[in-house]
Amino acid sequence: MSKPPARNGAPQRRPGEEDDICPVCKSSRYLNPNMRFLVNPECYHKMCESCVDRIFSQGPAPCPVAGCARTLRKQRFRRQTFEDLQIEREVDIRRRVAAIFNRRESEFQTLRDYNNYLEEVETLTFNLLYNIDVATTEEKLASYARQNAADIANNKIISAQESASTEAQIAAQKEQARLHREAARNEEDEERREKEEGRQEFINKIAASNEDPDKIAKVVLKKSTARRTAADKLRQQEAAKVDNASAPLFQIQGLKPVVRPEPQKAYDPFGDYSIKTQYYTLQTQYEHPWLENAKTDPKITAGGFDVGEYCARAMMEAFGGLGVFVEDEVARREEAAGADVGTTAAAMAAGDGKEVGGDVL
Amino acid sequence: MAFSPVITHEAASSIKVTATKAKSLAVRTNSTSQNEALSEAKSGGQELAERLNQETKDKYVKDKKLGEGTYAIVYLGHLKADPSSLVAIKKIKVNTEYRDGLSMDAIREVKYLQELSHPNIIALHAVFSSKNQNLNLVLEFLPLGDLEILIKDSEGIRYGTAEVKAWMGMLGRAVWFCHENFVLHRDIKPNNLLIAADGEVKLADFGLARSFADPYRPMTSQVITRWYRPPELLFGARYYSGAVDVWSMGTVFAELILRVPFLPGNTDLHQLELICNAIGTPTEENWPGISKLDGYVKFDKAITVPIRGKDFYLSRFGTAGPVGVDLLMSMLALDPRKRCTARQMLEHKWWMTEPQPTAKEDLPKKSGGLEKMGDDLKRRGGEIEDGRGDKVARKLNFGAAK
Repeated sequence: MSKPPARNGAPQRRPGEEDDICPVCKSSRYLNPNMRFLVNPECYHKMCESCVDRIFSQGPAPCPVAGCARTLRKQRFRRQTFEDLQIEREVDIRRRVAAIFNRRESEFQTLRDYNNYLEEVETLTFNLLYNIDVATTEEKLASYARQNAADIANNKIISAQESASTEAQIAAQKEQARLHREAARNEEDEERREKEEGRQEFINKIAASNEDPDKIAKVVLKKSTARRTAADKLRQQEAAKVDNASAPLFQIQGLKPVVRPEPQKAYDPFGDYSIKTQYYTLQTQYEHPWLENAKTDPKITAGGFDVGEYCARAMMEAFGGLGVFVEDEVARREEAAGADVGTTAAAMAAGDGKEVGGDVL
Repeated sequence: MAFSPVITHEAASSIKVTATKAKSLAVRTNSTSQNEALSEAKSGGQELAERLNQETKDKYVKDKKLGEGTYAIVYLGHLKADPSSLVAIKKIKVNTEYRDGLSMDAIREVKYLQELSHPNIIALHAVFSSKNQNLNLVLEFLPLGDLEILIKDSEGIRYGTAEVKAWMGMLGRAVWFCHENFVLHRDIKPNNLLIAADGEVKLADFGLARSFADPYRPMTSQVITRWYRPPELLFGARYYSGAVDVWSMGTVFAELILRVPFLPGNTDLHQLELICNAIGTPTEENWPGISKLDGYVKFDKAITVPIRGKDFYLSRFGTAGPVGVDLLMSMLALDPRKRCTARQMLEHKWWMTEPQPTAKEDLPKKSGGLEKMGDDLKRRGGEIEDGRGDKVARKLNFGAAK
């Protein structure tokens, strides 16, 4: 029975599909050439699209196949991928299990551990496939998923990235092939053009002079050979360039998962510096008749002059010398001079590390 | 704590005791400290000083010129012992105004840079004098230009709040460290904020710096490049504090967000006008005692702008977020007494809110900073580029300051 080519959007049919009959409504493909069969992964009973529409449009309903009676929802009906529904079901189950048990070999210490893990997963899958201890198996699956939610999500991201990079790699290869083709085509055109020109030149020369045509032919030939070697060289360079460019793309596949950077330290606006007074505590107020006017004269205060700052400086200058020992300083200076601190005072200041004592300066 | 290009400076020589009035310069290097004992024999001191100077000078090699200005020439250099260790050598020209000695800028720069050692402040490695008594400052080499070129390149460089936060954090730390050590920088602006190879921002150009003043001792109000100058200086205040630097930081903060100078005044009066419009008119009510300032100008009641509210800032600086706007507002408070200090700025909760500041390695960079560093270092304090420097030129009026 020869099959006419698919027309006006009618789905392509496999041979032998012509006498398909919907097990629910018994309508055949002969009556409805656009008939499509759908299955629901709850029970994998096949029925035609119009049956699904008719039965499940109003909401969940029991499966119409005699003796099944599982509650099905329209949303989950889909076209089957495999002819054999048994395989369809197995693939679905395996996909579901693999999404949860997505540990990678790199996560295990030894290969044996990994193999043991794989065997356990396979036992679970087998139980699900052949309906052995379904309840306990499902429970195991669910508890594993709960306990390892973070790892599962993480591995999912990694494999997504991997597949993305593979796709990118394939795209890059395609692009490269296209460029190659284009270059080849260009070169061909060029060659043809040059050849044409050469012939034209040859003819012109013959026409213009009365020299021996053989001699002229040799000169023209020499020219085209030179051009060809130049083109060859260029091509080799191009190839080398492409190799270099594509080299890192191949390395991506074996990439180890990146170690996540340490959590950022909280920002310190002072940049880890602290200036403390060591030998005195600064009072908020210092009484001195000489300072009184500076505190009240609007001419002085309106400009923002602050007597407190003067007091702080006076205190620093009075006590700053304490704790400065020349011998220590010399030793420290010599030590610090090796570092990138420039001046004497700077070396001194940097001497006590991060804490620059206000009184030491 | 990170220093960008690692430069090792050898512990030089065996000289321990040194003393000199060498050429009337306070030439100090990392291995020498002449000022410690001035009572040495003068005859020997002269020679010793020259020898020491020569020793320091011989440690460095000048490579090529990076830039030249009226005030200084900047060279790229390196340690003789290690060609890979780069430094910038700023050679200060013998000044026409100060024939008998050094220009104040150079003295200020040496005096304060040698005292301040902080990852966000440019390091001064050594000082030596070359022929004709030219003063040479060996500075840390910062190859990635300054914040100004990053702000200006709005086409090529994109950055967000996290980057602004990182830069402001580094600037804030530098200024906080200066103030903690009682030094006023007095010329904070984006092109004095140089960028090291690892992205660290470093405060440079201490040519206008001075230490906090004693009571009753007036300072000059003619400091800080106009666009970044706080209102109290524009009103001629002679007694001020670290709040002037905080204002400058506030305007830099605003500029980082807007990507154009926040208050680009053409004259001092225009600058005041811009401040009035952007922040509010200073009056006796919001700034008690302001009318007593020397250069106070009375504003017409009719054009008085009330202090701008948070909504006004949010509409312009919304990208910094409400907490960032709070910080900006407190940095740009008109009354210097109400302005936050550098310490309070770093203690602000903005640093703790999202987004986290970008790591300095990931901050946007722009090449071609080499020449820019040359330009930045050769400048004299308080100038604006684009040939408008002459209009803006402010000289330190030392006569009046005494």
